Amino acid sequence: MLTGIAIWMATATVSAQDTTTREKDLDEVYIRQKQATTTISLYDPMKKEKISNKELLKAACCNLSESFETTPSVDVGFTDAVTGYKQIQMLGLAGAYTSITRENIPDNRGLGSITGLTFTPGTFVESMQLSKGTGSVVNGFESVAGQINVEWRKPFEDKEEKWHFNLYQNSQARSEGNIVHKIKINDNLSTNFFLHGRSQWDRIDGNKDGFMDQPLDKQFVGANRWIWFSPKGWEVQAGVKGIYIDNVGGQMDYKKGMKEGLNMPWGFELDTRRVEGWAKLARIFQNKPATSIGLQLSGVYHNQDAKYGLANYDGIQKSFYANLIYQSIIKNTNHVIKFGLSSMVDNYREAYIDSLYKRQEVVPGAFTEYSYTASEKFNMVAGLRVDYNNLFGAFVTPRLHVRYAPFPKSALRASIGRAQRTANIFAENMGYMASGRGFIISHPSDSKAYGLRPEVAWNYGLNFTQKFQLNYRDGAFTVDYYYTDFKNQIVVDLYSDTHFVEFYNLNGKSYAHSFQAQLDYEILRNLDIRLAYRWYDVKTTYNGVLKEKPLVSAHRAFANIGYETRNQWKFDYTVQWIGPKLVPARHDHANQRKEYYSPSYVLMNAQITKTFKEVLDIYVGAENITNYMQHHPITSYDNPYSADFDASLVWGPIMGRSFYAGIRYKLF
Amino acid sequence: MKQLISIIAIILMAITSAQAKGDIKTDTFSVDGNCDMCKKRIENAAYIIGVKRADWNKADHKIVVVYNSAKTNVEAIQQSIAKAGHNTPLYEAKEADYEKLPKCCHYKTEECHH
Repeated sequence: MLTGIAIWMATATVSAQDTTTREKDLDEVYIRQKQATTTISLYDPMKKEKISNKELLKAACCNLSESFETTPSVDVGFTDAVTGYKQIQMLGLAGAYTSITRENIPDNRGLGSITGLTFTPGTFVESMQLSKGTGSVVNGFESVAGQINVEWRKPFEDKEEKWHFNLYQNSQARSEGNIVHKIKINDNLSTNFFLHGRSQWDRIDGNKDGFMDQPLDKQFVGANRWIWFSPKGWEVQAGVKGIYIDNVGGQMDYKKGMKEGLNMPWGFELDTRRVEGWAKLARIFQNKPATSIGLQLSGVYHNQDAKYGLANYDGIQKSFYANLIYQSIIKNTNHVIKFGLSSMVDNYREAYIDSLYKRQEVVPGAFTEYSYTASEKFNMVAGLRVDYNNLFGAFVTPRLHVRYAPFPKSALRASIGRAQRTANIFAENMGYMASGRGFIISHPSDSKAYGLRPEVAWNYGLNFTQKFQLNYRDGAFTVDYYYTDFKNQIVVDLYSDTHFVEFYNLNGKSYAHSFQAQLDYEILRNLDIRLAYRWYDVKTTYNGVLKEKPLVSAHRAFANIGYETRNQWKFDYTVQWIGPKLVPARHDHANQRKEYYSPSYVLMNAQITKTFKEVLDIYVGAENITNYMQHHPITSYDNPYSADFDASLVWGPIMGRSFYAGIRYKLF
Repeated sequence: MKQLISIIAIILMAITSAQAKGDIKTDTFSVDGNCDMCKKRIENAAYIIGVKRADWNKADHKIVVVYNSAKTNVEAIQQSIAKAGHNTPLYEAKEADYEKLPKCCHYKTEECHH
């Protein structure tokens, strides 16, 4: 984290990364920081799971959506059986309820809320911090279920290699290549270049339904960023990123640009072009202790053109974000106070079939956050922000995080907070476009947000972490419980009519309970195990009936074993059991198929890595080892232009077993 | 879930009780090194038979070792670390072993930035 903005995480933050940066410029802060790094996240009033680069390498991990396969807190599943896109779920809520940030700047909001996970290749990532529940008000008012902050590789770090090359190939015709290059011009100025290319170059139909399991794909991501530390306490960062994705999927003989219609192949196309630019400026006042001012700026232009059979969905998003943060202390660092102003501007233009929806949201806001450390045992963060949305008026966002350590090496944390967001109903539910279902919006309007109200939720959380040392080896045990209560939600109703997906404002209750227990322990030297279990109860009122949310499994159990030998072999094995999910009723050739629970299933992944001379990694792995697949995920696949056609009710893997191999090469 | 917890508890207890009841000692000494890569190598080298835990701190270059004094001693541990290329108070790494270290771990010439 590069800017002084980082300091607000100050007294207690987690990552060793922070320490390194601060070491450069912030001696006062650094001293406190050092204490914190030894106890790691136990000190932070907000529980943060740090997912290191090492953890990311455990999976074939090609982009963010795939990188969570070894994280019990996040569920990953296909959005549908056609587009190949995966979405994440936290606390039982769809990925759009989790805010994803790049070094604390909002990243894939809006039209990219599902597809956006593929915009960040794993090779670019240095580490991630995952936190559940509503986060800090400094980062905005939107996150309902949690936050995932992604830290990119740091060009100023000496441990960072000059060149990083990665090549990947799997048995299902997917190839990938990544290059990351850093240039350290001097101690103050450095830059890195990121390049990613990926291709799905062959049509694969493992389940023999005439549809490609994964679309043909061409993807390029390129980025460049600069970092400058001035000797006078300035820290400046600026970056640009460009994304180009071209997907062609659907029936096996569909080709790009083909005319569609009865007796013609059904096709899917998605072209995505996106440009992002950002800057961070921070000034650390050297004469005032622990005082700094920071400005974050970012702009996004996102253009996507999609086609699902006869339905077109085109969207353009232009967003601008600014966040100004002033931080200081009152008397000593036990009282840290922040003030700030922010502004969010989103301009959307979406066309679905023959309806056009335009909206411009402008949300200026002001916030303050106070962190208080009473002792090693107790600290808290209280935040409040007021924002004004040009479409929906003013709203207040209070948030509170409290930490108490009842025993040594433990932390008991509680949080409560409000969140508000405007749903992008098309972009967040693109999966349902891969069906004959019509989209119905109650009282649609092209002004405001489709004529719907913003979503408002309160989230309450309680978690307990106990670290321990048993037989001279470290372990940690964590339990957490979160409750999300929606005051308003845009209900996505698949139940009321099998031929439609209906969107309307919540009328009644909607909530999500989530419980998770996790045990991490180094059972033998260099043999780490992780066991986890999680439970969800997610219900929404659909047309007056309180009912389980579809395609969410109530139970999931997870085990991961990792072993590293002294001569640099690494073995990694993950097995998970995913419980039944409620599948809405379907209509197939005039036969009504009642709703049912999907069978539970087991997924297994394994990977072996050998490192040579600490610079060359060669890895091989297998995914979905048991070759478990959802049988016929597409209803009415032989008649894709009928209203019965439905590729969106996906509860299990679409692709069977696959093998992959790759290399990583570092040049210092 | 309950079953799972009890199974884990039994496994952990079995491992704990299987340990020989030797005299467990803790020692601290300094080891030359630079970075996280060094840390891994130093700790791996310290982890010879009889050693239960080895933690090297790159900030102050101190290593804390916990070992069974019936099975090993601090000299043997330091010798093993020196063999891996890192100087200890009792043993200096041989030039040949030092040269084998990757460039960023050359603690005699490279400045420690992290």
